[in-house]
Amino acid sequence: MTQHNGTPAAEPQQDAPPATLGRFAQDVAVTLWPSFLAASVATMVFFAFLDPLLFGEATSSPAWLESRLAGYTAGFFFFWAICTLSSALTLYLVRTAHSAAAGSRR
Amino acid sequence: MNDQLASESPTTASLYQAHLKIYPREVSGRFDRLRQAAVWALLGLYYLLPWVPWDGRQSVLFDLPARKFYVFGIVFWPQDFIYLTWLLVIAGLSLFFFTAVAGRLWCGFACPQTVWTEVFVRIERLIEGDRNRRIKLDRGPWNRDKILRKAAKHTLWVVLALWTGFTFVGFFTPIQSLAGKVIGFATGPWETFWVLFYSLATWGNAGFMREQVCKYMCPYARFQSAMFDRHTLIIAYDSARGEPRGARLRQADHRAQGLGDCVDCQACVQVCPTGIDIREGLQYECIACAACIDACDGIMDRMGYPRGLVRFTSQSALEQRRPRLLRPRVLVYGTLLGLLVGTFVWSIATRTPVALDVMRDRNALYRTLPDGSIENVYLVRILNKDTTAHRFVLSARGLPGLSVDTDRPQHEVAAGEVYSLPVRVRLPAGAARGSREIVLEVASPGKPQLRTERPARFFAP
Repeated sequence: MTQHNGTPAAEPQQDAPPATLGRFAQDVAVTLWPSFLAASVATMVFFAFLDPLLFGEATSSPAWLESRLAGYTAGFFFFWAICTLSSALTLYLVRTAHSAAAGSRR
Repeated sequence: MNDQLASESPTTASLYQAHLKIYPREVSGRFDRLRQAAVWALLGLYYLLPWVPWDGRQSVLFDLPARKFYVFGIVFWPQDFIYLTWLLVIAGLSLFFFTAVAGRLWCGFACPQTVWTEVFVRIERLIEGDRNRRIKLDRGPWNRDKILRKAAKHTLWVVLALWTGFTFVGFFTPIQSLAGKVIGFATGPWETFWVLFYSLATWGNAGFMREQVCKYMCPYARFQSAMFDRHTLIIAYDSARGEPRGARLRQADHRAQGLGDCVDCQACVQVCPTGIDIREGLQYECIACAACIDACDGIMDRMGYPRGLVRFTSQSALEQRRPRLLRPRVLVYGTLLGLLVGTFVWSIATRTPVALDVMRDRNALYRTLPDGSIENVYLVRILNKDTTAHRFVLSARGLPGLSVDTDRPQHEVAAGEVYSLPVRVRLPAGAARGSREIVLEVASPGKPQLRTERPARFFAP
């Protein structure tokens, strides 16, 4: 390809800086992202049946929970937290399954 | 474009590794134009739709604070949740169907990740220059030029991200008043939070994560192969025609030299936004953006070879077999999709814009009136889901001689109003005993589409 017009340019891509996504970042990404998707679905279904104003009605509920947007937001992050926990546990179990099995054989 | 490509040296095999930052080379051609068209259409839809009025209201507004969804003049209530579920199923099945027929069209042309990455890369290109200049800039020292360029890029990115976040919230709360609040710095804490949250996600995903979202985070990238078969449209390198690859002079008879059509220029690798080499076969990282097709076609044109060394084709076509469009898989997905879309449209079109809730009065099972007839009391709620007010009449049936008594003969219910009223249903003495099923009906006189009913229990001694 190059011979016909010569000038082979130095190819700089081998010196390209490494991307930001290391092993830990990958773990964070695969934990947060599926839980984000699951939490989105959970939030939609949950609030289709329940009006978030219900949370603000209880006498014990904090004042900031009295708007619907606050209810939706709190609900979404609650679901996200729970789902993240589940994702993280799954990842941990998958990651450690091999070493645990190897350990038990010894 | 082709000049740039031609001036590249043939690099030794794969210097590209997944963990290296990818600098996709700019490309032009048929598929690039197609993707640009898709990107602009989708972005236009996203940024402009909330501003388009419809019946004096925002055309598409998922009004979360009011718990009502407005979609082109149709109002959806929380009770209409079934439609949302239905729509999600249709969306999922469409993905199956299109994947089976045409591979990962979604990824390359319609996925928000692709669309916003495309825009962010364009901004990057505008400020930092083409691929080689971007690489040089990143490797170079932090001098005045680099700081200025990086600052300018991030400013534009942040502005676009903020506008994206603002538009996102504008789909869920009226955008006109939101805009007013933004200008006056008077947005509520939750609106502010969601604008910033979505902006941050856009900035991070389209500016930094890019192809890594597809590679590490996207579940569809992993399971799409389950919907593939030998006849599915994929992007493939015709290795029978291309191999053995190798550099050659343009005027040389490469066949005589024992070479295939691939000149090993690496153009297909350098344009790839996920940094793979399509010549190694179908890989799950491939988002079917067809940038490699455009790049290769450009090279083939220059070399005077026929286009299509890398092309949209199928496994069966590459094996010289006749491609089939109508396979059982496609037929099943297609039939299901057709049925679901058909019933969805039909049920939206014939949807009753009135809903009825019936609750029994909890104080007494029944009451015996002085004339011996039996009375049950219900709390009835009429929900007018229409955009105009209507008058409603209640009636009951299911037992002989049932009559209904309400405070007024007709009930005017405003648009979107939930109207509650007690309803006394009477049964002549001795007409029935024990627990019986009756039906309460609400109807608007002279409007047959405004009618619905609910079953209820009627108790007699």
